[in-house]
This record gives sequence, structure tokens and C-alpha cells, in this order.
Amino acid sequence: MANIMNSLYNMRLLDDLARQETIIHKLHPLMKLLTTVSFLTVVVSFGRYEISGLLPLFVYPVMVFSLAELPLKPILLRILLVSPFIIGIGILNPFFDQQIYRLGGMEISRGWLTFLSILIKSGLTVTAALLLIASTGMDRLAGALRMLKIPRIFVLQLLLTYRYISVLMEEVARTLRAYSLRAPNQKGVHRSAWGSLAGQLILRTFDRAQRIYEAMCLRGFTGEYETGGFKEIRVWDIAYWAGWMLFFVAARLYNIPMVIGSLITGVIR
Amino acid sequence: MSHHKLEAKDLHYSYPDDHEAVKGMSFCIHHGESVGIIGANGAGKSTLLMLLMGVLFPSQGEVCVGDVHVTKKTLPMIRQRLGMVFQDPDDQLFMSTVYDDVAFGPRNYKLDEKEVETRVLHALELVGILHLKDRAPFKLSGGEKRAAAIASVLSMHPDVLVMDEPTAALDPKSRRRVMKLLTSFKHTKIITSHDLDMIYEMCDRTIVIKNGEIAADGVTSEILVNAQLMDECGLEVPLAMQNCPVCGSAKE
Ligand SMILES: Nc1ncnc2c1ncn2[C@@H]1O[C@H](COP(=O)(O)OP(=O)(O)O)[C@@H](O)[C@H]1O
Ligand SMILES: [Mg+2]
Repeated sequence: MANIMNSLYNMRLLDDLARQETIIHKLHPLMKLLTTVSFLTVVVSFGRYEISGLLPLFVYPVMVFSLAELPLKPILLRILLVSPFIIGIGILNPFFDQQIYRLGGMEISRGWLTFLSILIKSGLTVTAALLLIASTGMDRLAGALRMLKIPRIFVLQLLLTYRYISVLMEEVARTLRAYSLRAPNQKGVHRSAWGSLAGQLILRTFDRAQRIYEAMCLRGFTGEYETGGFKEIRVWDIAYWAGWMLFFVAARLYNIPMVIGSLITGVIR
Repeated sequence: MSHHKLEAKDLHYSYPDDHEAVKGMSFCIHHGESVGIIGANGAGKSTLLMLLMGVLFPSQGEVCVGDVHVTKKTLPMIRQRLGMVFQDPDDQLFMSTVYDDVAFGPRNYKLDEKEVETRVLHALELVGILHLKDRAPFKLSGGEKRAAAIASVLSMHPDVLVMDEPTAALDPKSRRRVMKLLTSFKHTKIITSHDLDMIYEMCDRTIVIKNGEIAADGVTSEILVNAQLMDECGLEVPLAMQNCPVCGSAKE
């Protein structure tokens, strides 16, 4: 329990990471946003049975990971946090779709293939989104969204949700800590205390959110979230986006592993 | 300067659960005064401040800042002139760096980024945490958080500084620092606290609140020595004014 609490409590780690100063961090937020959106589009556009074509796309997260000097473990942990939902969505496919599909010499059911494809796709998308936040920061990301003329109400919603999640998590952490200190021999929370604990939590979170909102209003908040100015977009920022675009499009149009494979076999012949 | 006065006229306020927290308070605070508002827990201090700031609206009576009534319409103008530091700095600090937090107010008033920067750096320097500007607020110590919260209000250049228990939950050194900081401001100050020693040092005037009503309003040094009044209001004569606990000799 303490372990889960720790990882939840570290929710704000992404904000911390976003303050580093690497090549990736220094890129213009708008271009990073566009690159990520392009990446997501390409990933999602692959068909249900394509696996090998997706593989080259792993280059993107790996590159960003290393260039932005992000720690692997905490981010992987966050990806794992969503994996139960993904598995939940995909797990029925192998049962419904039992047609045989030939992959190389092996015979597998198409259901497993789609399951695998869902797994890879969602893994890639979640990773890309996390990388974007960890290398840009939510505030600047919101600024970039506003530059794209996304209505401010949506951007605000996103930002406040993000803020309040950590508020909620901190309340959870505090409440659970208080509970476990007074129930030292228990593993987890006893069933009889769930109701009141959850009720307390909701009330306290409401209260807290209310006060934060009031504090914001007192400092002149009217609904527009000002994040300060942005640097200008440099040629290098555009080149970054364009470079990845080229790669993504190439990966979509050509099955790169197959091309490389046939090149090699061609050379050998 | 009459436009800096802050006046409460017969304020009443009940919470939605019909609990009447403020029952007919009236007072007038003039420019440059520092006023302590004291009272036991639940006396209605925080509620009173919320009414002054226009976070809550009185069910009867009114608040005037200068010659302007606090209403929904005049709020933006009022809030630029009154700065409030919350009791819990965690409620106030929510951006991802101290700098952005202090810049939040000025940016909302659409100042250009140069001016914002000057103000932020100045405010941070005033409270002595310039070196923390790139840190995350939630990683600061209690005293540093309080300083950051104060800076986030100072950057808006308010005429009146309103503070809810600024020294609560601070260790003696941090408490001293915050007090020194506050003393150095020439603003009109309104401070609620149970820390009567602090009120004694910092405020010339004190308003005592008991169960949502004003029990006394006057010169601090006269009110705080009134043992009977203090006792009735759930407070006690500050240590600095009590007789010596060891030899019993009276303060001169
Ligand atoms: N949100 C609320 N709903 C109902 N009653 C409240 C609420 N907040 C405070 N009160 C009540 O109003 C009274 C005054 O509270 P408050 O102004 O916070 O006191 P103080 O700050 O002096 O300790 C208390 O009796 C408290 O129980
Ligand atoms: Mg209070």
C-alpha cells in the first residue's frame, strides 16, 4: 500500500521532469504537440492485423526518452497503471475472433493478433502522451493548445483536471496515512471504514478545490489561463517536426521491416 | 487618503446550513493601519475575511473599499486592491514553479511579460526567496511556502494586505522572519491570528471577535491586557505582557 501511495504521490514527478533543459525540452511546445499528434494519428491508422509495420514506430519514443534524458522506470510505471484498462478492452478478441492467420510459418488466431496490435498501439499512444507532458509541462502544453485555437474552456478543463487530480491524490494519501497510523496491524482499509473514508475524501477534496479556485479568483483569474509569452518558433523547431513527419509517413507507406528484409535477401542473392 | 479605507457596515452572514457565522459586525479601517483580528477557533475570523474579499457575500449589510461597494460587478477592481494570503499556503500555490505562481496574478491583469518579470523578481526578493524561483512550490518548507504565498500576493501591488493566520504552523525562526517581513510593509494590514504575541508586536489596533460578533475594538496594548475580556473570548493575555512566571514580578 505504501508503495502504491508513493507512486501516486509522485504524480507531480511529470512536472518536475518537465523543468529539465535538454534538446527536447527546449523545443517549441507547439511543435512537440504537433509531432505527438502526428505520431498518434499514424499509430492509430494502422489496420487491426498489422504488427510488423508498427514496429519501426518504436524508434520515436526511444529517441525522445534518451534525448530528453527521462528516467525509464517511473514512466513505465505510469504506463503500467493504465495497462489493466487496455487489457480489459482487448482481452475478449481472442475468444471472438478465432480465425486462423498465418504469420510466417506459425498459425495463430486472428484474435490474438488484434489483441497484440491493440496492446502495441495503446502502449505507443500512452507513452507518446506521457513523453509529451514530461518534456513540456502541462502549463506550456496548454499554451500550445491555445495557439492552435482550441477553445479556452476545454484547455482550462484539462488544466484544472490535471491540477485537481494531484489535489485529490494528496488528500487520498493523507487520509490513508492517518488511517494506517491508527490501524497498524491492518493490511489495507477495513471494509467497515470504506464508506466513511470515501465520503470524507470527496468532501475534503471539494473543499480544497473550492479554496484553490477562490484563491485563483482573488488573484484576478477570470477563466483565461495565462502562461506567459512563448519563444518564437525557430527553424530548428519546424525541422524537428518535419523530420519526424517524414519518418512517420515513410513508416506508414512502406513496411520498413519488410523492405529491409527484402533488401538484405536481395543483396545475399 | 480616503479611497484606501475599508469599511464593514453591519455585516451578517449565514452558511448554507443556517449556521450564522457573522452577526452584525461594523468597523472602518483606514489607510496605513495594521489591524489584528483575534478570536477563538470558529469565532468567525476566516468568514469575515472572505466577506471582505468578496468571496462570500453578506446576507445583510455591506463592505465598502474606498467609496466602492463590494458587489459582483466591482469585484475585479476590488481584488486588484486587496491581496489575501490564505491560511494554508497549499491552497494558494498551484502552479508548477514558484515563479509561475507569483506571476499568476500579474499575468491575469494582462501586464506585458517584462513588467510581470520585474514584479515577480521584486516580490520574491522582498520575501527573500529569490533563489527558490524555479523550485516546485509543493517541495518547499512551511516557512518558504508561506513566503511564496505572500510574494504571490505582493506581485499584484495591493493597497491592503489581508492575511489569515500568517504565523500558524511555523517554527519560531520562520515565524520571526514572516513577522519581520510583514512589519516592513507599509501597506494597510489586516491579520487574523491566535498568536497574540505577534498581534501585540505588529498591530496597533485589535478587533476581538466572539461567536460572530465584535466583542471589543481598540488599541492593542489596552485590549490584550484585559484579562477578563481575553478569558471570555477564549483567549489569554500574551506571554510578553504577563507577569514573570518565575519570580512573579509585574511588567513595568
Ligand atoms: N463551509 C462552512 N459551512 C458551514 N459552516 C461553516 C463553514 N465554514 C465555517 N463554518 C462555521 O462558521 C464558524 C466560523 O468559522 P471560521 O470563520 O472558519 O472561524 P475561525 O477562522 O475564526 O476559526 C464556525 O463555527 C464554523 O463551524
Ligand atoms: Mg480560520
